[in-house]
Amino acid sequence: MAKNLSGDLTVASANRLSDGVVVFLDDSGHWTPKLERAALARDKRAGEILLERAKAEAFSVVDPFLVSVSEDDDGTLEPLSLREKIRVGGLTFDAIAAEAVRYA
Amino acid sequence: MPLYREGAIVPVANDGLAALPLAEWLQAPTQAVALANTDQLDLLKTHLGRLKLIVLHFPKYTDGRAYSQARLLRGRLGYRGELRAIGQVLRDQLPFLLRCGFDSFESDQPGFGPALARARTLFSVVYQGAEDDRAPAWLLRLRRRDARAAEQIGPLAAE
Amino acid sequence: MPDTHFYRYDDFDRTLLAERVEQFRDQVRRRLSGELTEEQFKPLRLTNGLYLQLHAYMLRIAIPYGTLSTRQLRKLAEIARKYDRGYGHFTTRQNLQLNWIKLEDAPDAVAALAEVDMHAIQTSGNVIRNTTADHFAGAAADEIEDPRIWCEIIRQWSTLHPEFSFLPRKFKIAVTGSPNDRAAVRVHDVGLRLWRNPEGQVGFEVIVGGGLGRTPIIGKTLRAFLPKDELLAYLESVLRVYNRYGRRDNIYKARIKILVHEIGVEKMREEVEAEFASTKDSALRLDPRTIEAIAGQFAAPPLPHRPATVGAVEALKIEDRVFALWLKSNTAPHRMAGYRIVTASLKPAGAPPGDASSAQMEGVADIADAYSWGEVRVSHEQNLVLPHVAVEDLPAVYAALGRLGFAEANVGKITDIIACPGLDYCALANARSIPVAQRISNHFANLARQHDIGDLKVKISGCINACGHHHVGHIGILGVDKNGVELYQISLGGDVDFGHTALGEIIGPAVGADEIVEAVDALVATYLERRGEGERFVDTYRRIGAEPFKERVYAAV
Repeated sequence: MAKNLSGDLTVASANRLSDGVVVFLDDSGHWTPKLERAALARDKRAGEILLERAKAEAFSVVDPFLVSVSEDDDGTLEPLSLREKIRVGGLTFDAIAAEAVRYA
Repeated sequence: MPLYREGAIVPVANDGLAALPLAEWLQAPTQAVALANTDQLDLLKTHLGRLKLIVLHFPKYTDGRAYSQARLLRGRLGYRGELRAIGQVLRDQLPFLLRCGFDSFESDQPGFGPALARARTLFSVVYQGAEDDRAPAWLLRLRRRDARAAEQIGPLAAE
Repeated sequence: MPDTHFYRYDDFDRTLLAERVEQFRDQVRRRLSGELTEEQFKPLRLTNGLYLQLHAYMLRIAIPYGTLSTRQLRKLAEIARKYDRGYGHFTTRQNLQLNWIKLEDAPDAVAALAEVDMHAIQTSGNVIRNTTADHFAGAAADEIEDPRIWCEIIRQWSTLHPEFSFLPRKFKIAVTGSPNDRAAVRVHDVGLRLWRNPEGQVGFEVIVGGGLGRTPIIGKTLRAFLPKDELLAYLESVLRVYNRYGRRDNIYKARIKILVHEIGVEKMREEVEAEFASTKDSALRLDPRTIEAIAGQFAAPPLPHRPATVGAVEALKIEDRVFALWLKSNTAPHRMAGYRIVTASLKPAGAPPGDASSAQMEGVADIADAYSWGEVRVSHEQNLVLPHVAVEDLPAVYAALGRLGFAEANVGKITDIIACPGLDYCALANARSIPVAQRISNHFANLARQHDIGDLKVKISGCINACGHHHVGHIGILGVDKNGVELYQISLGGDVDFGHTALGEIIGPAVGADEIVEAVDALVATYLERRGEGERFVDTYRRIGAEPFKERVYAAV
């Protein structure tokens, strides 16, 4: 499956103010935790516009910024950098559960 | 920019004492001087008695150098005139500003006046002495111990 | 519930805490309503212990001088369950981090902390941070005086200090009361070492300008001997000089270590002593009654005499070789014969180092209530400590810790790894550190092998900020990012032992994530081949230098 890794594709992301959850700006200008619903900018200029829009809608989030993503043939988005992959995907190991008395 | 003093919730009129920057003031000392937060305070010593207003600067509210200047002016040099904070002055810093001896503030932050009215009562306990006249916890603890000891000795002493 | 044998909050302390909670609650409300911008709110949030990390807010809870009552530990477990995901991470500065806090819950979480006299005040931000101590304080056989008395005195003086709440950068103080520095005082902004002078007086050596991070530096002696009652006057002088003259133009050059480096320690001393001449005889001079009132609260629990040699323990040592190893590595000499200091290893094979679930925290509290006078300590090495365990009770404690997964006989050994949270959690990181720690831990899990390898401190940081203290690891590992790929730089010979404080030496180019375990294996193999009689890894390195290790590593990877 061919991936568009050109680095031109970006989404706008931030952390939600109330709870710190990672969110993305969607097409209607709302913040969603689902990367698949993120508004996608396809070139540098569109990215700038997207970021401006994100900053205008920043009341409920902290410090919006652009994240470079790749897009599969079927439209699946994935961040390019490891950092953003972790930010979206969560911990890369299993944390211990609340009631666990031993690490699994 | 609005000027606030304790005792009034709304801004007060700026009394028009023009504070000269230190270098100029040293040439011709007037009643008001404005210091940069890197200025040396010893230079004020000779003419300190003349001063009615010293203005200290917070270029960003996170730059805390003027707190030390304030304490040294009040505590070390014994300055008793008005000490004003200008620059980026925000209401959440008021408890610290008051404790360091500031008594007037230039700020355009909404709600600054009411916040100033409440600032001295936000904390009824302080751990350390500063340039206000609040007794720190360690001193109150000693006084309490002495008072308790006196209560016990008192009845005996009366005999 | 057992009485505590450390500082007990009085009404003054509790009032201040309650007022601080209310102030913070109001600030959060004003932020959520938009009345405060993020720029205005950030320092306020930081000085209440709340960081924004990759996935969520993180709350850093202060554990002053690393000492907890079981009541407090149980409350931490409850808070982790109620406001977080049911686990926490014990840090290299004796704090506890909860990684999934919501801003809107933070005021309630700190209110819950206040119920047990705990807080998150000044655990972040450009302020004086939690003052740390030796985790064996009050129990160690080699102690001159309990450093926690002084940590408490510093805690009060530094809390909401009106002059020092907007410093150029963070300020970290550590105190040791023992010649064997378990508090790493030489790599703190100010380190204090209690010692007895030839006249028989106990006072402080004041060390300034140490630190790790981007520019690791070992601190220099500012004052060889400072009488104890002059401590606060002296610290106030140091902080005032730093507040006035520390750099504010560049956050990477703003620590006091840079100021000392730039003006020299003689000039620093001159400035501090000039300021001290005025503060020395001010109200900052500690009243002996104040010192006594605080010191008295740290008096040791009334430990009854218990036998130093116990038949059942001797028998179990022979029957159970793992118990024998555990005794060797996880217990340390106590002031009183008949007792040992027990370390609960929070480094089970393959686990994220330093983490504990709420259930595990409660389990440790139960053990401490039964066997350690209701007291637990947090070490700088991300483990928990039971300070007063009778020798007779060691088998029961060993079994109980074992049921929690905290009895791995690896304290001080290669799998007792210190690792920062790294890129899995932290917005500052360049690379992950926890998975690396897990792989090294699994690779060297065999206990007999670990004890043969002996004392070996592996410390891993995910970025140059060095929260994993990699500069002072016998083997230090620093995660770096090169073109989006995680690489790991290896250094050797770092140490924080007094007399041997040293920063590690980088041995060569960084290696890949899939090579790091082999690299560590090569280092260990070199040591095992070349070691002399009684030499630890770091001793062999000091004798033969980096070359043999370097050759072996780069041949292997």
